[in-house]
Amino acid sequence: MTRKSLYFDVQKCVGCYACAVACMDQNDTDLLGGDLMFRSVMHVENMEAGEVRIAHVSTACMHCDNAECLDACPSRALRRDPESGAVIVRRELCIGCHACAMACPFGIPRFGGDGTIQKCDGCYARTRFGYAPACADICPTGALSYLDINEAMAAKQARFGASLV
Amino acid sequence: MNDMDLKIKGKVPGPDSGIEVRKSLCAICDPNTQCGMDLYVKDGRIIKVAGMKEAPHSHGSLCSKGAALRQYIYSPERVLTPLRRTGERGSGEFEPISWDKALSEIAEKLNAIKDEFGPESVMFFAGYAKWARPYLTRFTMMFGSPNYLTESSTCATAMAMAHQLTYGAPAGPDLKNTDCIMFWSQNPSASGSLNLLNIQKKLDAGMKCIVIDPRVTDLAQRADVYLQIRPGTDGALALAMGHVIVEEGLYDKDFVENWTVGFNEYRELAADMAPEKAAVICGVSAADIRAAARLYATSKTACIQFSAAPVVHHTNGVQNYRAVFCLIPLTGNLDIAGGNRMNKPSIVYVPGGFPTREPQFMCIDRLAGMPERVGEARFPVWAKLTNQAQACDIPRQIRTGDPYPLKAFFALGLNCRMFAGSQDFIDALCELDLIVDVDLFLTDTAKYADYVLPACSSAERRELRCWPMGYIQFTQPAIEPLGQSKSDVEILAELSKHLGLDDELLESGMEACVNWILEPSGLTVEELNKHPEGMFVPGAKPPAERKYLNVGFNTPSGKAEFVSSLLAAVDREGYEELPSYREPEMSPVSQPDLAKEFPLILDTGSRLPMFQHTRMFRVPWARSLSPEPHADICPDDAAAAGIADGSWMKIITPRGQIRARAHLTKMVRKGDVHMYHDWPQANVNDLISGDYLDPISGFPGYRSSLCKIEAENAVEGGADND
Repeated sequence: MTRKSLYFDVQKCVGCYACAVACMDQNDTDLLGGDLMFRSVMHVENMEAGEVRIAHVSTACMHCDNAECLDACPSRALRRDPESGAVIVRRELCIGCHACAMACPFGIPRFGGDGTIQKCDGCYARTRFGYAPACADICPTGALSYLDINEAMAAKQARFGASLV
Repeated sequence: MNDMDLKIKGKVPGPDSGIEVRKSLCAICDPNTQCGMDLYVKDGRIIKVAGMKEAPHSHGSLCSKGAALRQYIYSPERVLTPLRRTGERGSGEFEPISWDKALSEIAEKLNAIKDEFGPESVMFFAGYAKWARPYLTRFTMMFGSPNYLTESSTCATAMAMAHQLTYGAPAGPDLKNTDCIMFWSQNPSASGSLNLLNIQKKLDAGMKCIVIDPRVTDLAQRADVYLQIRPGTDGALALAMGHVIVEEGLYDKDFVENWTVGFNEYRELAADMAPEKAAVICGVSAADIRAAARLYATSKTACIQFSAAPVVHHTNGVQNYRAVFCLIPLTGNLDIAGGNRMNKPSIVYVPGGFPTREPQFMCIDRLAGMPERVGEARFPVWAKLTNQAQACDIPRQIRTGDPYPLKAFFALGLNCRMFAGSQDFIDALCELDLIVDVDLFLTDTAKYADYVLPACSSAERRELRCWPMGYIQFTQPAIEPLGQSKSDVEILAELSKHLGLDDELLESGMEACVNWILEPSGLTVEELNKHPEGMFVPGAKPPAERKYLNVGFNTPSGKAEFVSSLLAAVDREGYEELPSYREPEMSPVSQPDLAKEFPLILDTGSRLPMFQHTRMFRVPWARSLSPEPHADICPDDAAAAGIADGSWMKIITPRGQIRARAHLTKMVRKGDVHMYHDWPQANVNDLISGDYLDPISGFPGYRSSLCKIEAENAVEGGADND
């Protein structure tokens, strides 16, 4: 069985932030009311080497298959959506212990004014009905896409092959 | 959750969820963009936006500005009724009044001014938005005033003038068919990002790429040759490239001989700008200049992707872009597939490959019998090449009354921070008897108006647009206008009635006007209404190649002009008929004494991807991505001034100072300060004099003046509105 997931291609990202805003639009993120962004876009540059290298990185929850946060959560506030495989949040169960934050290798979990976790749910309520997550749906360059990981890898492999000649 | 709850949470459209997708477009940035938009509507409210897959130009994507449109539309700061000023101008104190009262009072005052001082004493201005400009132009002509002005007095027009002076009309890059593209100060990561997919595809397929930009852009990293020049030295670089192309015999001899004038003079001018000389002026290597020149000239086809404003935001701006554009006829890349191609605009500046009556609709032939326009005497070539008055000359004419007094200003949107010496611009407007502003928000500038009329957004009105692949869309309102807000065109039509202009066509409404404009294309509103997502225009054609073979070029000589006849006809400093290079008026080279105290180059106006001038500042989704005013500076300059990354600093010019956070980045050259513009509490354009202008276009020299930076320890950010 193939399952789709979000795939990020750093070579295509130009840091336009469309994904971050589309995420807020999809989730009605009320920034002034204390909601937090699920997706971040970072501008990174290599300040050391002789040549300047600039890149942009868009990250949110990776929805890991072997999710450390799930194992760490003592209150079952995190669970796996069986259909999409997304790691989703039940904020009403969160006790604000930050165990997931300590476990997450990517620095994803955030905690709002009420102390409970806020993070990406993989738009599982959209993918269930065949719609891509809002971030991938909007991306102007195809840097963020929603597809079978092996398809993504095949495309990357083909690009690598082409770059050799 | 059951499926229904999930659908509502996921905003999945369908009869069961009650969510309907309505077709629209994004009008936040403009023109040539207008990404197709799906508006998800439930119970009369937009609950989500997405890119429209049917749109051939934006392929289902949006940028961060478009993605934030819902918060822009439903901003709690929308003006919802007509307002009449009660306090001092600028105080922001207004009272709501009815539309009828507002329009009657405005009409009465405008007609009284017209009777006493003549129609020319009333100015009609369009802000950044382009869609209603044809209607405002017509309205201005019907009122009898020559003074139709726009924000394009500081954006894009000077670029078009450089094209016009050189070969008669703007010639856009043919990305699709080219072998080599030269991005001359354009950064698609921050503006026009929907074109990136096409660019990346072409690069992946082997298209060569040259990037000229003072800042290391994403694209610069993928370029075959990248030239990080000192701001304002574009003309020297272009001449040096011409030098190499001529010296090495890489120019198109047939084209130059048959279709250009002034080549010998140009050859002499370029001979004096060897790459080694330009290397010193521009701060790049002579070898790279040669490499760029050879790559551009020897590629089978090559085009130049120019930008609307950066190169012409210099006191030598028009001549700099003239020098750049001379490379196009020099290499014969003019009006051919893969080169820079000319095409007539169909609707609102955009060529769609089909004919319309938009020029006739605007009635600009009526200018002929009218008094001279604002700025006409000061910028005669501007007046020849455009149908607008030059707004940068407004403060001077208001204060001197020369050649006639100005009394009233009517604006469809006005942002004074687009003008150098912004406060002075506003102070001058305050000497007028009447200021009316049509806007969505009570902006800092709108606060100076006597009446503010509430405009609605693109989602609440109809709007006619086309795209270069022959696509057209006449949008339908997705939601009812908020409050009492109205479409700008509806406001003009109603004001026309109150003024008694007897303009039957405009007063009969937008649909009638669209039918009239589209008549030669064979399209009708009835047909367009069947395609809310837009449609390909039957019979639309891509522009023919080498149209000059039949009709010549639209210049006085009928040929491409290295030596400009229009510039030669004006005997003034800065109007050299050849695109000779002058230093920016304020540069470390032209003013070495001043540069001792102000050693850094101040460059304002670069874009951030989430903002469009002031437009998205009040939208939390956009603003959260860049909450405070900041400038890009290089780590060496920061270290010398003792400024840490992210800390507050002062940017000081001979006119004043502002406070901004320092963003340390190796994207920028040592010696340059790139301050983002339009910040309410840090208006960098007010640090530049309103008279610091290009002599040909009247454009402000935003991208090159002198400043210094100092560490600043206080943390107050200052008042913030707009």
